[in-house]
Amino acid sequence: MKKTLLALVLAVAMLLVSVPAVLAEAPTEITLWHYFDASADAQAIVDWVDEYNSIQNEIHITATYVSRTELMNQYTVGALSGELPDIGMVDSPDMASYISLGVFEDITDQLEAWGELDQFYPGPLESCKDADGRIYGLPQNTNCLALACNMDLLKAAGYDHMPTNLAEFQEMVAATTDPADDVYGFAMSCISTEEGTFQLLPWLRSAAGGAGVNVDNLTADSAVNGLKVLGDFVANGYMSKECVNWTQSDAFNQFAAGKAALAEVGTWHLAMTDAIGGAFEYGFCLLPTGDEGTSTSTIGGENFGVCSGAENVEGCVNFLEWLCSKDKEGEWAVVAGKIPTRQDSVANYTYEVDGFNVFVDEMNYAQARGPHAEWPTISEAIYTAAQSVFVDGTDPAEALAGAMEKITPIVEANPLP
Amino acid sequence: MAAGKKREAYIFVLPAFIYILFVLGYPLIYNVYLSLRNVDVKNLTKGGDVFIGLQNYIDLFKNPTFLLVLKNTFVFTIACLLFQFTIGFALALFFYQKFRLSGPIRGVLLVSYMIPMSVTGLLGKNIFSNAGLVNNLLSKIGIIGPEWLVNTSTALIAVIIMNCWVGIPFNMLLLISGLTSITPDVYESASIDGANWLQRFWYITVPLMKSSMLSVLMLGFIYTFRAFDLMYIMTAGGPLNSTDVLGTYSYMLSFTQYKFSQGSAVAMVLFGCLFIVGLFYLRLLSKED
Repeated sequence: MKKTLLALVLAVAMLLVSVPAVLAEAPTEITLWHYFDASADAQAIVDWVDEYNSIQNEIHITATYVSRTELMNQYTVGALSGELPDIGMVDSPDMASYISLGVFEDITDQLEAWGELDQFYPGPLESCKDADGRIYGLPQNTNCLALACNMDLLKAAGYDHMPTNLAEFQEMVAATTDPADDVYGFAMSCISTEEGTFQLLPWLRSAAGGAGVNVDNLTADSAVNGLKVLGDFVANGYMSKECVNWTQSDAFNQFAAGKAALAEVGTWHLAMTDAIGGAFEYGFCLLPTGDEGTSTSTIGGENFGVCSGAENVEGCVNFLEWLCSKDKEGEWAVVAGKIPTRQDSVANYTYEVDGFNVFVDEMNYAQARGPHAEWPTISEAIYTAAQSVFVDGTDPAEALAGAMEKITPIVEANPLP
Repeated sequence: MAAGKKREAYIFVLPAFIYILFVLGYPLIYNVYLSLRNVDVKNLTKGGDVFIGLQNYIDLFKNPTFLLVLKNTFVFTIACLLFQFTIGFALALFFYQKFRLSGPIRGVLLVSYMIPMSVTGLLGKNIFSNAGLVNNLLSKIGIIGPEWLVNTSTALIAVIIMNCWVGIPFNMLLLISGLTSITPDVYESASIDGANWLQRFWYITVPLMKSSMLSVLMLGFIYTFRAFDLMYIMTAGGPLNSTDVLGTYSYMLSFTQYKFSQGSAVAMVLFGCLFIVGLFYLRLLSKED
């Protein structure tokens, strides 16, 4: 009898203890889809999410990796079916299209109340806006393109420094090419995807002989000359024609293997210099796309947005504000080998410090792609023009005039910002 | 009574009919609907798209890229069928001869068919790269190989070769099973009558294999015509659309450029071609019966 009573008392006590836990509101389950696949950032997003889950009780986030292509398809299909995650990652030039497709929630009001938007660099933040200036997400990391130089090969060709202008760059590319050793002077990606356009744009927006131009004026002399420089590299055997099938990784691998003296590389490649393994001395400098003291580059990077129909929009935006806070931005840049999207974030890089400084400087000359809802069509016109020069030997002026035939009606209907 | 039975029969057909209506009918009808409107990135969810009749189809047939893609699709399909079928048939006749190790070698040949197409695409990308296996072997016999995947004239050839590598064992397998259905007695009596191997092949094997051969060719056409993954991985349709086929082009329009209606119109052309081939196949089958 005593035992039964004791059991009863214990049972009631346990019930009482568990009641507050039941009564307290359970955090909303939030799904986050990302395509970070490098080992450093793939682990970092999991750690970041775990940390956020432990410091608040409003939402509980589960981060899921979805390959980039699959994620993009999912957004397109989800725009109609409504099958979307709560928070989604997107490549910055694609964001405008997905905003137009209704994939992301307008979170302008909450972000403006946050009061930190003025700390973000304009280029990356612009990519989160629609044509009316409404904001649909936050830029989480950014990057740009610069030039990687194999100093051993440059020295062997009689140069003790990196190129500082287009003319010198052309000289060096020619001088370092060595067919007998299978070494090309220059490597870049010109594949028929957004990656190709990303790498081509600095040369088309070349600031040679004055100001650089935007993609609505690619028949300008400076743009034609930029493409001609690259076309001549291919025609003269200074750059492999295979660049039309190379991704940016492929082009960097050519450099890392010592098969290319100079290469157009992204900020994230700084985390991959282990592949060089001390085989040669290397350095980074601004892309020498124009006259002395000028450079052009393209802004890349990833944004995070809250998807339409998310369960707890306010909670999701709170997470984005935390993810893109001053401190977290700085930490992420170091871990993932990127550049912070905020001016007030300090990234204390622990490796390739000189290299990072070059990329941070290059950001001053880097331009965003679009933002434009029909950017993918503009992009296709650009890489197609370049491929026709490289593969078929089309005249650069003619190729770019062909590209403008496709681009002009698009930008006339909806001008670039 | 007869009417009642008929009604009963319809009830039995109903589940299959509903299944086909939803799984095949709905997407098809929606695709036709989409291809007759101007749905794109600007109006997919916001609305405002309008009926434009056959304009998407007219635009397509005026577009030189689409005409190139259409040509690529036919060249790819016919070339693949030709080589897959003839080589597959030759191998089937060879392995039909019972000799030691014919089984294991046949099994090894099937490996290429068992490998996922995406892996085959990656293999192809490496094998046909400038310093890849093919050019390496060619250089050993003193030939400087072309830049296979870089030139618009050779990229499709490389893709065709990779597809044949996968398709040959598939053809061989189906044709061997056709060969085994012919009773050996026929050959025996033909031999006794003095028929040589060519006569036996031409007057016995070919006529008796006709339905197998037709099935293999038709299935092959359908599989090859709607190819996608091989070129998507191996060349992404490039360079300059030289390896783009209807499948990859439709995907590019719909999922990369968000021109949903134009993508649907391309898919309808793809469907139309296969539908005609399908009808042709059904007619041949009913004639056989």
